Amino acid sequence: MRAVWRAARAAVRRRRLQTLVIGLVTLVSTGAVVIALGLVDAASAPFDRAFAEQRGPHVVASFASDAVSDAELTRAARQPGVESAAGPFRQATAELRAESADYGLGSTITVVGRPGPGGPVGRVDLWAGRWATRPGEVVVNRQSDWSADDLGRRLRLRSGPDLTIVGFAFDLSGTANAWVAPGQVTALRPTATQMLLRFEDASSADRLREGLAAVTDRLPENALTGSQSYLTLKDQIGSSARAYTPYLMAFGVLGIVVAVLIVANMVSGAVISGFRHIGVLKSLGFTPGQVLGVYLTMTGVPSLLGCALGTVLGNVVARPFFDAVFMGPASGVFHGEVGIAGWVNALALLGMPLVCVLAALAPGLRAHRLPAARAISAGGAPRAGRALGVQRRLAGARLPRSVSLGVGLPFARPGRSALTLAAVVLGVTTVTFATGLATTMTRFGDAGRDAYDVTVYATKYQDGKKILPRHDDRALHALLGSLPGASEVTARADAEARLAGTAQRVWLEGRRGDRPRLGDVLTDGRWAGRTGEVLATSAFLSRHDMKVGDRVRLEKDGRRQAFTVVGALMNNNAETVVTDWATLTRFAPREEPIAYHVKLGDGADPAAYARAARAADPGVDPVPVGPNNVTRTIVGSASVLTLMLAVVAALGVFNTAVLNTHDRRRDLGVLKSIGMTPRQVTAMTVTSMAVLGAAGSVAGVPLGMAGHHWVVPRMADAVDITLPPSMMDVWRAPALAGVALAGLAIAVLGALVPARRAARLTTAQVLRSE
Amino acid sequence: MPPLGAWPSVLGMVTEDIRGEAVVRLDGVRKEYGGTTALDGVSLEIRAGEAVAVMGPSGCGKSTLLNMIAGLDRPTAGSVVVRGENVGELSEKGLALYRRRHIGMVFQFFNLIDDLSALDNVALAAQLTGTPAGQARRRALELFDELEIADRARAYPSVLSGGERQRVAVARALMNRPALLLADEPTGALDSRTGEQVMDLLLDLNQIGQTLVLVTHDERLARRCASRLVLLADGRVTGEHRLEPAA
Repeated sequence: MRAVWRAARAAVRRRRLQTLVIGLVTLVSTGAVVIALGLVDAASAPFDRAFAEQRGPHVVASFASDAVSDAELTRAARQPGVESAAGPFRQATAELRAESADYGLGSTITVVGRPGPGGPVGRVDLWAGRWATRPGEVVVNRQSDWSADDLGRRLRLRSGPDLTIVGFAFDLSGTANAWVAPGQVTALRPTATQMLLRFEDASSADRLREGLAAVTDRLPENALTGSQSYLTLKDQIGSSARAYTPYLMAFGVLGIVVAVLIVANMVSGAVISGFRHIGVLKSLGFTPGQVLGVYLTMTGVPSLLGCALGTVLGNVVARPFFDAVFMGPASGVFHGEVGIAGWVNALALLGMPLVCVLAALAPGLRAHRLPAARAISAGGAPRAGRALGVQRRLAGARLPRSVSLGVGLPFARPGRSALTLAAVVLGVTTVTFATGLATTMTRFGDAGRDAYDVTVYATKYQDGKKILPRHDDRALHALLGSLPGASEVTARADAEARLAGTAQRVWLEGRRGDRPRLGDVLTDGRWAGRTGEVLATSAFLSRHDMKVGDRVRLEKDGRRQAFTVVGALMNNNAETVVTDWATLTRFAPREEPIAYHVKLGDGADPAAYARAARAADPGVDPVPVGPNNVTRTIVGSASVLTLMLAVVAALGVFNTAVLNTHDRRRDLGVLKSIGMTPRQVTAMTVTSMAVLGAAGSVAGVPLGMAGHHWVVPRMADAVDITLPPSMMDVWRAPALAGVALAGLAIAVLGALVPARRAARLTTAQVLRSE
Repeated sequence: MPPLGAWPSVLGMVTEDIRGEAVVRLDGVRKEYGGTTALDGVSLEIRAGEAVAVMGPSGCGKSTLLNMIAGLDRPTAGSVVVRGENVGELSEKGLALYRRRHIGMVFQFFNLIDDLSALDNVALAAQLTGTPAGQARRRALELFDELEIADRARAYPSVLSGGERQRVAVARALMNRPALLLADEPTGALDSRTGEQVMDLLLDLNQIGQTLVLVTHDERLARRCASRLVLLADGRVTGEHRLEPAA
């Protein structure tokens, strides 16, 4: 054992660069694998993790208080199949006065009387303030990435006592909009009782229905007034995370495959290039097993170190990276919740060394079987006789000889070249995919962003008081258009209505002024031209299983009206339909604009305009258009992932170039002895990898384009958006030429250092050592 | 062997007007590797058309001396001047161009490139200077003819005999019509019969004017091919002898 260790140590000392490369490649690759696996894990189950942490209820059931007693409900929750239950909690519906929007609440809210945030089921996350314990106190359901600066303010109910906000809690399951102490809820005249149930088998909607049926079996027939399954909730909440999933999955899988390929290539290459040394060891009396031990130790120690450090690196990089990726409003639910799972670290720590060992084992066993003399002669240069036809044709080609020699080199080591090529292909695929994704996302994010520069809200809150504009609607519209820099003004009003015959809310949005289309992108049909015509968002059409040409019936204040959907808009707001001002005012005559969208002239400063608007009427709240965070997040994260995978692929090329130049030291010496200049040596070595780069581009670009065409529509689909062809059609000749260069760039960057090193080889030493 | 008169036209050897002029001049050349001194103040002059054999025990610095002349290594001190160029002062690119223009090298273990056919191994030397492939191959084939291995031109090194490989190596060395042919133990890896053939070849080359420096352990080779014998020991020149022309 000591002999094995000493021989391995000596070999490591003799091959410092190779050892460094093994450590470096495994470090970066393992880091990439940790991040990639972490992404796959986080993208596939953020809801499940957050839901499990809160012990969320599989079913939230509401019962009529006058039909069933608390005792009956408590008994019912002890049925077989119920894992645990919380409740009964009294539940009331309360109408808020005008300021409801300030708190992120609708005009009607569900208030539940609960003694605290904990319990066996539905543990809510009280992230600011304290729980409501006294009369007149309320805790509002709000995500923790909002601010808590409303603490102490009062919720004013239309019928019932005013409530002071003493805390903010987040409940993923949305069992209530707000909570009060159990004693307080009676003042809100509760009509229902809430039970939160977890079942032993919650694997499907059928199982949940059966479970709930068992619970309600002995209760009065009409006791159950409503229920919500966590599967529906998962579908709703998960839609935004689902938008990220195909994209993160694609990057994750690419990252894992590239890293594994490169590590396998590097370790097996290290063993093959050491065949001669293996032969020498055997001739010294090392047993085949000992020789194998030397090589596994020699490659295993730096690999293990690289894997361990790479796991640490992956975790360190993943934290801020995941915070950025899961920051958009769509995935804000999971902000701060997503990290590298334990199993990912365990898999990286065990799996990557295993890949290294397996990669070393195959050529190691070959060396194990080889007689010493053959191992010595098999070492170093590739087996003679490979790809000879290729070399013969290249020798007569009209290319500089250093270039034609370089073109032929990859054919001498087909296995190594194939693995390197695969890594380059995947690197180029990643770059192509990411470039397309970034272009689509930028176009999506920028769509309509030039429609206006400042939104002027027609109400403002200051120190808890609502302030109204001094000017009436028409005067304000005219005033905003007359301020310096203003070019166009479009007023917007939202009338809250219901889909006729249902409780589903619909906002009918009407526009008036210079640019009634604002920034909307039409994906189907046409713009509204006549009274009674509307455009629906793609999400609205998808949710209600409608299409352009269908009629939508809305009701408001007891009046019903039918509208014809004449166009579809690219928008994921499933509650909105858009129309012109005349149609809106015919349906809702008293509706006033809630905002004015102002387009400024060239060079005008939005901040200066906002100051001018505020000065002209202190009752308005002007807000310049901010950056698009979702687009920025996706484009930013795609750029980071692309860079990371390109670096890993370039490291793979670097490793191959190092191994090839090591294997061909004698040939390099000979070539230099007959007059090959350092520049020609560099050109030959770089060309040998550039060939793989070019081939990688040829294969990787179509793969990346296919990935883009497969993943992006699915991302859009997940959030009920239909992308117009103009956003998918991102490939033009310059863009394609640019991404095609990626393969060459990866290859040339990876090969440059080994090539220059080869050029500096001292010929006499090389030839003497051979 | 081919008639000698046919060779100069193909091989492009030195002409009579420069015969006798000093081609190589070593002055106080010293070479150290770490703490080891391989050459210790070697001074030597080699004239055009001369055949000089360098002999000495293993490790005496013979190959190092050859490497200095070939521009494969640089002296630690002293100067190596070949046809007016101070080899030690040349850049890496300058050394490569120097080797192309002035040096042809033959090694003990042939050092052919396994992936290339014999013809392409030889043509390569000219192609590196920018000679088009067709032209380089034509000249290589002429050399193959002269060296009587034309039928082996398309073969790969792995299927050639030792003697054939060394002839290919000699052809490659002569490809760019070098001023100096340097041979490092050219018969060391060959059986005696093949060794004899290579000796004849070198002798013939010298007789038509090729300046030759050969490093060898083999006194027979030295006596047969060389007109002057330089003895080295511990990195120093310990003796020089004129040799009688071979019978």
